[in-house]
Amino acid sequence: MLETELVDVINLISDIRHGKVYTSYDVAIHTEQLIEKLISEGQWNTAEDLMVLIKARINRIMSALPQESTPVNIMRHILKIIRELYDTGFKYKSEGQQSLHHLITSNVDNAEDYSKPLPSLRSSLLDHLAEYKTGLELSTDNIATQALEHIHADEIILTVGKSNTVEKFLKHAAEKRKFQVIVVEAAPLYHGHEMAINLTKSNIQTTVIPDSAVFAMMSRVNKVIIGTHTVMANGGLRAACGVHMVALAAKRYSVPIMVLAHMYKLSPLHLCYEQDAFNICASPADVLPYSSGPIINKVHVYNPVFDYVPPDLVTLFISHQGGNAPSYVYRLLSELYDPNDNEI
Amino acid sequence: MKVAAEKKDIKVETKHIQKSKNEGCELSKSQQTRVTSKKSNSELNTHFITNKEKLNTNIQAPSSILPFIERTKLEESKVKVVKEPEKACIEGLSKAEIKAQRRAIQDAQRNAKINQKSIVNDKQPEKSIKKVENKKAIPLKTEVFKTLDKHRVSLFNHLYFEEFEKLQSLKNFTICNNGVHPVFFKLGEEYRSKSILGSNARCLALLSAFKTLVIDFKTPPNQEFYRSLELTIGVCVSYLNKCRPLAVSMTNAVRTIKLLLTQSDINETDIEKKKNVLERIDRYIQDDIDTAGEAISLRVQEKVSNGDVILTYGYSSLIKRILVDAHKREKRFKVIVLDSRPLLEGKEMLRRLVCNDIPCSYLLINAASFVMSRVTKVLLGAHALLANGYVMSRTGTAQVALVANAYKKPVLVCCENYKFCERAQTDSFVYNEIGDCEALATINTSERSTELVNWKNYKKLAPLNLMYDVTPSDLVTAVVTEIAVLPCTSVPVILRIRPGE
Repeated sequence: MLETELVDVINLISDIRHGKVYTSYDVAIHTEQLIEKLISEGQWNTAEDLMVLIKARINRIMSALPQESTPVNIMRHILKIIRELYDTGFKYKSEGQQSLHHLITSNVDNAEDYSKPLPSLRSSLLDHLAEYKTGLELSTDNIATQALEHIHADEIILTVGKSNTVEKFLKHAAEKRKFQVIVVEAAPLYHGHEMAINLTKSNIQTTVIPDSAVFAMMSRVNKVIIGTHTVMANGGLRAACGVHMVALAAKRYSVPIMVLAHMYKLSPLHLCYEQDAFNICASPADVLPYSSGPIINKVHVYNPVFDYVPPDLVTLFISHQGGNAPSYVYRLLSELYDPNDNEI
Repeated sequence: MKVAAEKKDIKVETKHIQKSKNEGCELSKSQQTRVTSKKSNSELNTHFITNKEKLNTNIQAPSSILPFIERTKLEESKVKVVKEPEKACIEGLSKAEIKAQRRAIQDAQRNAKINQKSIVNDKQPEKSIKKVENKKAIPLKTEVFKTLDKHRVSLFNHLYFEEFEKLQSLKNFTICNNGVHPVFFKLGEEYRSKSILGSNARCLALLSAFKTLVIDFKTPPNQEFYRSLELTIGVCVSYLNKCRPLAVSMTNAVRTIKLLLTQSDINETDIEKKKNVLERIDRYIQDDIDTAGEAISLRVQEKVSNGDVILTYGYSSLIKRILVDAHKREKRFKVIVLDSRPLLEGKEMLRRLVCNDIPCSYLLINAASFVMSRVTKVLLGAHALLANGYVMSRTGTAQVALVANAYKKPVLVCCENYKFCERAQTDSFVYNEIGDCEALATINTSERSTELVNWKNYKKLAPLNLMYDVTPSDLVTAVVTEIAVLPCTSVPVILRIRPGE
């Protein structure tokens, strides 16, 4: 595919790289808009054409931003919508939900033919995407409304760094109940500071602790509520650096860890413990500033961005649909994506 | 700035100690009698307030202290009179000025008395004045208490101590100076500002201060040298304890020295006794700290092999010594230094290791999981070893041990025998120390800015800077002491055989 045809996705990549589109919610919305535009204005006739166009974009993003899973997940889900609409358009399968039989046999009939033109596809796709978009927009609120099901009065809740979803969740609970929040500052980015200030503005008693005091505080914490970057296929997390440590401490004191995750954070991929396979390192200047003198010539300084948290350390995922155990993630994945699209 | 201001205070105070001591007694006596002789509080109060205002502008007290000043203004108005000379010495006034001020106060009080006499016939107005005062005072008081609760984590209420009361008691100490040697004022300030940091360093500084004290010590008439020295040491130590809670190493050292004093022979001349004590302090430094460190270093070196990747956390003088010694013995290994805010002691470790040409990596503590898979051994220092086998150390140590445990890496805690402690502790809440909250609100790793700088504007926000945490014994593979390499659970055995217990 020519570079000129991919200009939309290249712009998106550059925006993400330069931090213009920063939060995962923004990334999700931008990706959805990109695909919506592609569907309404792109050069395609059949479902197959469209799927090729989208897959080209997925490949482009995956090679440019291997650590960024949200846009890929959104596109993957849209691929699934296309498949479904195509199928229902030709009445290949029974309408409504997939049957158990289909789930089992879906891998077998992967040589499906999407090359027949379906005139109604474009309009019905746009309808579905509009619906999907409102779903995305309401996702944070939907998660937040579940707050009262998980937070009781006078709790001590620990959170790491800053997550918009967690912030909304806690603020929603604070309208009805009184509780304390301990925010881990998450050096060297210190998003925790911002989080703490935002929470305290909503009249929540907030304590800021350095990353080192997590273990000391954990024995008095009732719940750990965090956001994540990605939820892997096995229910593990790719989260901000330091979360693994928090999860280990929580496990030791049997403190439940709740992970607030939008559906677009669920990825059908797996991670291994090997750090280099999934991690990236940010500028070491945040850890040891250039002003530290000649010492910086002689030391290796690392500033990793992610941590892998294995699924056995996670207690609960909370998405807009409700709470699920990590062992159930595989099922959510099969609802979200078509198995044929897991590897593109 | 705060520290600088206080340092200044102390300097000024030490200069004025002698003067203010004498004058303070006179003054307080004369004024106390006046206080008891019923005079209207209003006069007094206005007086204090003007004086206090002076004080505020003069010391430029940090805003955090101001509410406390306000409170004491209300509550301890009587005490204030006694503290008059102290204010004078804070302001750094000369003797003549102090006298002039005192005269002014006395005049005012005399006037007050005269006024009062004229009112005495008619009791009604006096009462009304008092009522008005009370009404004023009560809301103020509650306000002050609210500000006290602010910025505190309720779990740790027992660990916070009033910054201002602390200062007050420090100043009382300097004024009624029960024989605290000036070297302890300096030392106390160094502890407080954390310019002397680390269990060993603090203990060594204390012992050298003791030596100065012993050299300068003069036995009071009709008293025995050892007894009076013991008392003086007690006073000095309680002063230091007010500056910053004593480290376990320090309490143990003080106890050993006191024990030596009580067991010493009384039938010697003072010069011999002094020599004796100095010798013993030197021997303590030599045996319990220096040689112990060497023995531990030798033991750990046996465990370090070529190609090792050793992870350490923060700064420990002992760990530094071990690593440098091992490197000098041609062991080829790499060191990963983990560090955490706000103290960033790891930088010091890094600097010293790099100076010795040891290849190092440097990361913040939240990247522990990132490096742990590459590590072969974890070496940690300790603040104290507790009787139940738990290790008390700088916050974050427990976390490093936890991650190491998750990756099944051996964790060695190195600790001299003299840091063993009879206390048993299972959490980091009961005995701990709260560090400077301001340090947490300023970013010192990079040039980033943070909103947290204005944390005092937010009523419900409390930065918490714990100094220590407690590592459970099951996270520690072994403790290396000068006696042996032991499991944590053997700590009480060592405690039992320790001499002089």
